[in-house]
Amino acid sequence: MIELTINGKAHRLDADPEMPLLWAIRDLVGLTGTKYGCGVAQCGACTVHVDGVATRSCSIPLQSVAGSKVTTIEALGGSHPLQKAWEEMQVPQCGYCQSGQIMSAAALLQDTPKPTDADIDAAMDGNLCRCGTYPRIKAAIKRAAGVAS
Amino acid sequence: MDSHLIHDTDLSRRALLTGLGGLAIAVALPLPVLAQNAPPAPPPLGAAAAGANARTGMVTAHLVVKPDGKVVIISPTTEMGQGTHTAHAAIIADEVGVDFADVSVETAIPADAYRWGGSMGSGGSQGVRRWNDHLRKGAAQARAVLIQAAAKSWQVDPAGITLEQGRLLHKASNRSLGIGEVAEAAAKLTPPDNPPLRDPATRRYVGKGVPRLDIPAKVRGETVYSMDFRLPGMLYACARLNPVFHGDIASFDAAPALKVKGVRKVVKIQGGVAVVADSVWAAMKGADAVTVTMAPSPQDTISSAALTQAMVEGLGAAQAIPATARGDLDSAFKSAARTVTADYGVPYICHTPMEVWSCTGLFKDGKLELWAPTQVQDRSRRTAATAIGIDAEAVTVNTLLLGGGFGRRLMDDGIPGAAQVARDLAGTPVKFFWRREDEFDRGYFRPAQMARLTASLDAKGAVTGMAIRISGPSMRAEFVPGGLKEGELDGSSVQDLSNLPYNLPNFKLDWAARHVRVTASPWRAVGATHNAFFLECFIDELAAAAGKDPVAFRRELLAGNKRALAVIDLVAAKAQWGKKLPKGHAQGVGFFASFGSLSAHVVEASVTDGQPRVHRVTTVLDCGDVVLPDGARSQMEGGVIMALSAGLYEAVTVKDGRAEQRNFDTYRLMRHSESPPVIDVHFLNSGEALGGVGEPGLPPTFPAVANALSAATGKRLRSLPLVEALAV
Repeated sequence: MIELTINGKAHRLDADPEMPLLWAIRDLVGLTGTKYGCGVAQCGACTVHVDGVATRSCSIPLQSVAGSKVTTIEALGGSHPLQKAWEEMQVPQCGYCQSGQIMSAAALLQDTPKPTDADIDAAMDGNLCRCGTYPRIKAAIKRAAGVAS
Repeated sequence: MDSHLIHDTDLSRRALLTGLGGLAIAVALPLPVLAQNAPPAPPPLGAAAAGANARTGMVTAHLVVKPDGKVVIISPTTEMGQGTHTAHAAIIADEVGVDFADVSVETAIPADAYRWGGSMGSGGSQGVRRWNDHLRKGAAQARAVLIQAAAKSWQVDPAGITLEQGRLLHKASNRSLGIGEVAEAAAKLTPPDNPPLRDPATRRYVGKGVPRLDIPAKVRGETVYSMDFRLPGMLYACARLNPVFHGDIASFDAAPALKVKGVRKVVKIQGGVAVVADSVWAAMKGADAVTVTMAPSPQDTISSAALTQAMVEGLGAAQAIPATARGDLDSAFKSAARTVTADYGVPYICHTPMEVWSCTGLFKDGKLELWAPTQVQDRSRRTAATAIGIDAEAVTVNTLLLGGGFGRRLMDDGIPGAAQVARDLAGTPVKFFWRREDEFDRGYFRPAQMARLTASLDAKGAVTGMAIRISGPSMRAEFVPGGLKEGELDGSSVQDLSNLPYNLPNFKLDWAARHVRVTASPWRAVGATHNAFFLECFIDELAAAAGKDPVAFRRELLAGNKRALAVIDLVAAKAQWGKKLPKGHAQGVGFFASFGSLSAHVVEASVTDGQPRVHRVTTVLDCGDVVLPDGARSQMEGGVIMALSAGLYEAVTVKDGRAEQRNFDTYRLMRHSESPPVIDVHFLNSGEALGGVGEPGLPPTFPAVANALSAATGKRLRSLPLVEALAV
């Protein structure tokens, strides 16, 4: 039995301790906003926060997050400044990577409320987007942070 | 079968058309063939042709009006982020006269109303340009019957009734009705064949700004992609496949997989096995555990090294398959003041949509229902039926929103496994899935290709003749099995080179087929991705040989072509072509016509420590007119980035019959920090026939960035990816 908190709710999961956090979130808890893209922490589609830190959930076994607080895209609620900016800037195309992009950006703004271009590049480089929405993501982060583009 | 659509007597083309319907004609046939064919007739608009989509309040096959006045639009296209669902909603909402806020969109279940050219699917940048007039006409018919129904209920002349913002108004008697109140009655009326269309000046949405309908759910993580789609009691089936192209397994031992907790069964499927379990994780573990013995195949020895050798040999081969020959090339070459020749090459590249393939199936009472992220609904339907030996009529395909397509989901190679597992577990829904490594192993790449270009210049530096030899494997032979006869031209290899906008009266184009059975399919913009690179880099080489500026040189070649000159002139002006740049920076230009549109880019780039950097991209698209301005802008931005990624970094190499790259640790995609900070997009609304938007921005990106980096480094780069060319 592995205990952890997901989006403020305590869970006791009877699962293979090697199961990556991603599949526990999706299949055991039923939150499907977090996506599988590569399984090897190279694309960032599975990004969640573990104790406030942006983490690739596809490559972290459940046992190593026992007792942690996990936050997923669902916890942002839809009116988070980043989600509003994402809508205003019409960022997503296919949208598949965007949960991960937003979660990486949310961790960035928690630590660095007024990020520079270099801060954004460093925080976001692990999140691939095949549709090529990078310029809009950068603009949306700046809008949410209230810094000039 | 789609035999009613065959408008060509050539049997090989028939194979192509039956495989795809009219869908991919533009990407798979050379232009002269297109010109000979009458375009396929539009499908019926009436609700009678809506098949399983039919329901109460369906006024036409694309429009359902609910009692509360909300409307559901049934779109014939797959939404994969390109925005066609929103564009269709804008077209229909404007013409009917309803508020955008009252509109939602569904993807059609295949039926005749959604089959243009006999088959339902989305490709070739056809989603808006093909359907625009047709959807508008259907919407006008819907308006006409809604007005008729109101006229009947009020016993007044329909001419006195208007429909605005979802309300029918009879001004003379000051009465009004919501469209939902007459929808059922309207659905029973016969619409006029040629209903009057609204004045385009009254449009509120088309050509204006509407937010994409799919975006709110996407930023909340609420969109249900294929992997997120669930049915009660559903099981998961993870594939374990032979990674060799077209390979299968000889035998397998299920025992080690069955020891994994949660694994239920191992099922033989096309190309390997599927391990069925009660969770994704258990299915993956089981797939790793199952012991498989690969079946040997002739593909086992395919290698990029041998293919390159064959392609190089093809560049100089005496025989090739002719595509185009005009004028007197021999005389032009003989009387040349100077002849320039250069060889170019591009590798296989992978689509890599961020969403990995999965498909849910339920086989019950002899019928199969699929929930698939597909660009080819009817092809998938037939493939599923063939895989399990049932009638295509017994297969229902529901389409989910795609986590990226880019042409990869024009290929239905993930369908047989899904159908076979569902058939085996009759009565239980099963989600069949691949892992990222399987996406690479399955391939269906944009094929590698090489080119030799030769041109003659006169004493003034004008081009007097040009010969282009393309050499390489066939996309069509892989994409449509049996679709290319020995000695037949694959139009995708010479795509968009036959009728260039440039004045080239003495011109020859041919293709040396050097096929290997590495799976291949259309990659966004298809053959134009390599041909724009070959041609437009070579044009820069010719400009240099003639001692002329690349933009001025292109203008000379385009003399008299007003539409093309306008595109070149606008991109040069917006980019301030020739302006003073920071040290080490250079501009490069690329221009190409594809998918019915003209596009040109200027890229500003530099190289530091061998690493290229793109600083700015200025881009112009003339697609006739723009239906969804911000959507088109995002397609141009994204297309430029996808092409920069492919041109700078991407390559699949093949060894022992399989891809050497299996994930993003070895297949490099452009990342945030590498993306140009500025992509300056401009549209030139020429008013010509609507052209494509999703693809035409990609082809000119390849040569624009290569030309910029060649100018920045003083070294002519003739192969992709450019990071490798720079390192040589």
